[in-house]
Amino acid sequence: MQDLTDNALMLKVKKGNLDKLGLLYERHKKKLFGFFYNLGNNPSVSEDLVQNVFVRMLQYRNSFSGDGTFGAWMFRMARNVNYDYHKKTLKKIEFSGNSFNIEIKDPMDDELNEEIEAEGNNALLRRAMAKLPEEKRQVLVLTKYKGLKFSELAEIIGCTEGAAKVRVHRALKELRSIFLELEIA
Amino acid sequence: MNKEVFEIKAMDYLAGGMTLTDKDAFELFLKENSEYKKAYAELEASWNSMQSLDTPEPSSQMDNAFFTMLSEEVEKNVKKSSKDFFETWLGWFKPQFALGALLLVFGLGLGYFLASDGEVETSQSEVADKETEAVRQKLVLTLLEQPSANQRLQGVGEANKIADVDEIVIKALLKTLNSDANVNVRLAAVESLTNYVDNPLVRQGLVQAIPNQESPIMQITLANLMVALQEKASIEPFKQLLKEQELDTTVKKKIKNSIESII
Repeated sequence: MQDLTDNALMLKVKKGNLDKLGLLYERHKKKLFGFFYNLGNNPSVSEDLVQNVFVRMLQYRNSFSGDGTFGAWMFRMARNVNYDYHKKTLKKIEFSGNSFNIEIKDPMDDELNEEIEAEGNNALLRRAMAKLPEEKRQVLVLTKYKGLKFSELAEIIGCTEGAAKVRVHRALKELRSIFLELEIA
Repeated sequence: MNKEVFEIKAMDYLAGGMTLTDKDAFELFLKENSEYKKAYAELEASWNSMQSLDTPEPSSQMDNAFFTMLSEEVEKNVKKSSKDFFETWLGWFKPQFALGALLLVFGLGLGYFLASDGEVETSQSEVADKETEAVRQKLVLTLLEQPSANQRLQGVGEANKIADVDEIVIKALLKTLNSDANVNVRLAAVESLTNYVDNPLVRQGLVQAIPNQESPIMQITLANLMVALQEKASIEPFKQLLKEQELDTTVKKKIKNSIESII
């Protein structure tokens, strides 16, 4: 027996059956949390942003037509939520030119060396991600999630499928060169 | 192969989105072009490290915040739709709406008799209903843990909507009955539990809750319930309660009558 699809559930939410949003939340909360976290938000902010996405889904439920996939609609909303959040915080604080909230300590710090040793490439990769331009970072984080096809990515970022593949390719290439630069430094 | 075509094909190959023929052709191309082979290997390494980027688990606070928000929205929506219904109903007095409604009823009737493929939809709805029940149970458990009495009352209300409650929800309701600081929440929990008195766990829990109650209204409610259920196991806890010095005289009288009725 197959479960109702995400699109069918969201159409039910649109018709006023708001309970069904709970099912969509259970199915996608981890994916969304990972999206915000890997974009560089801390866990607490990422949780708030997940909540904001679902609040928006309720607010704009009538805009869901069911033509595209629910995943693409959800991630488009998530991108807007992330953009709005950083726009707001940008007004509040002096922006350092990098929205990736990773704690970058003095490289001479012993603790940092231990941390890097322990976490290995993961910590270095996060630092490399922090240096990527926002648009490229988003494209990479979106492709990280299994089940997200290039056609869906194209729908989210508003381009053709071919262009989406080219963008991911170039973002990966840039990530690699930043990663190597950091490794040498 | 130009640069852009390579970029597209490399991504297709990485994501496993190529046909067997295209895959073989691409592998052959890499074999014959060492420069592209190197570029692809670097791309693959970058892709693999991205895929292994770990993410922590979200906390339970995120679930609490979401389900609280959802239950508030559901409540608002129910109020709004009942208001809308009233306004629509008033609108029906206009002749054109009445005619429209008549045609709609006719159409629905016709559709009902002509419909033949309802089974798939029914089975899908059953699955969705089961999933909804599971989410509702989670919602009940979350709401019962909230500091606000109003939200805990809402939690008990949500429990009443569940057709088949599981043991975890029953235990949560019994815990509310025994330890909630607010008497209204405890009363609502008794009412909710009366829906499942056929379950031995519920009956046992209700009997065990008798000595824990200090509020006269709770004591009387439980006494009435035990008489209705003719639950002989409740006699002993009631006798214990009668020994309490501070027991209200009206309650004392009520409990004595109840014990006699049960015997």
